[in-house]
Amino acid sequence: MYNLSAKQEGFSTTVGLTVRLTSVNSPTQDVHTEYNPAAISDEQLLIAVGNSQDINAFNQLFQRFSNNIFALGMKLTRNEQLSHDLIQEAMLNVWQKAPLYDLDRGTAKGWIYTLSRNRCFDMLRKQKRQPNCISADDIWPQEANTELMPFHEDSSGQEVEIALIERFFDQLSEPQRAVVEQIFMQDRTHEEAASILQIPLGTLKSRLRLAVAKLRKLIEVEQ
Amino acid sequence: MNTEVNLHPSSELLNQFIQGELATGRSVVISAHVELCKTCSEKTKELQALAVSSWVDPDSSESSIRKTAGDYSAMIQNIVKEEQIKTEQLPELVTASLGLLDSSISLPRVLAKAAAKGLVWKKVAGGISEAQLPLDNETQCGFIYMAPGCQVPVHTHEGSETTLVLDGSFEDELGKYRAFDFIIRDQNHQHQPISKEGCLCFAVLDSPLTFTSGLARLMNPINRYRFRKAISKYA
Ligand SMILES: [Zn+2]
Repeated sequence: MYNLSAKQEGFSTTVGLTVRLTSVNSPTQDVHTEYNPAAISDEQLLIAVGNSQDINAFNQLFQRFSNNIFALGMKLTRNEQLSHDLIQEAMLNVWQKAPLYDLDRGTAKGWIYTLSRNRCFDMLRKQKRQPNCISADDIWPQEANTELMPFHEDSSGQEVEIALIERFFDQLSEPQRAVVEQIFMQDRTHEEAASILQIPLGTLKSRLRLAVAKLRKLIEVEQ
Repeated sequence: MNTEVNLHPSSELLNQFIQGELATGRSVVISAHVELCKTCSEKTKELQALAVSSWVDPDSSESSIRKTAGDYSAMIQNIVKEEQIKTEQLPELVTASLGLLDSSISLPRVLAKAAAKGLVWKKVAGGISEAQLPLDNETQCGFIYMAPGCQVPVHTHEGSETTLVLDGSFEDELGKYRAFDFIIRDQNHQHQPISKEGCLCFAVLDSPLTFTSGLARLMNPINRYRFRKAISKYA
């Protein structure tokens, strides 16, 4: 929990910067980014890509990581063409999965590394025409919080009464409170809440699940 | 999670696993062990963090490999036309039933997935059955079941044999192996496994592909034939 809130504080100091980068209602195609790219963290760029399809932010990530991805490809495939293909495969995956990134589970660099390694592994298996009964994502599963699995994405907490939430609100961590407030009190959609809080959709969902699980436990004890 | 696992993959092997350097068969058997073993699961996280932090920084002088400077704007333009994925696909819970066992056991996720299309069990020798599960063209992979009281004939290996015990136990001249133990035997070991209570394992046998005559004479020709058959399907 300490790590979690420390990270959160680290983010809030830079929120001003990102707000300009991606604002909730602005049409994403027209976002003008007047910022010093080097001052923006990988995580902030990834959040901008996931929350508002920010093409400039994606460009930045591409600049930062395409060489790394190429180097990883060369190391594992020793083939220049395949390594170029890997840039395409891996960065496509970064774009597609950006909303799923969860900053509570690790750095953006670590997340991109995992995606790149997995795509490279699958590319090589395909090239060698190996059986397709499994893929890299089965071998290196996402750090799925298995205890959270039973919760369904959209039913999470709809049954929890607002009055009860308010009563136990103080017992949630700061990041959880922020999420609960947006979803249950302000009645925002997941996407809106993620954009307002400047966190990835994936992080919003996992914090919400954790918060609801905790609330349920507290309410159970009470009753 | 079992905390009493005795035998684990070496750090070097775990590191190769994390960096994606191992063939599919080896990667699968290590992934299965890591899921079952708390020690290795934690070690794996540390090694992953190390791999990430040493991932070449393109702006550093250390980086000797550079992609040729190219215009990637067309690539980027195509990528950003794609739909994004907003909901994580929770892994489907696959259960594979292993008909030879009295009690059913739940397999590690990666093995359950690999076995989801069904297993074909074949009796190999007195009390031993195997269900091959081809995963790559370099190794022969599959489940091995030893009925209680059965004994494998003395044998040596060409290349190495990696075994993960999933249920039950077996022993040989070098020790006793219980659930979730991870064992590597190379051609220097001659062993004769015995299982008193019965045992279910997943095994990965290395390819002797680079191998020429010499030592080949030591090998049982039938085993060689079976190995060839297993890998030729995908060669
Ligand atoms: Zn272990």
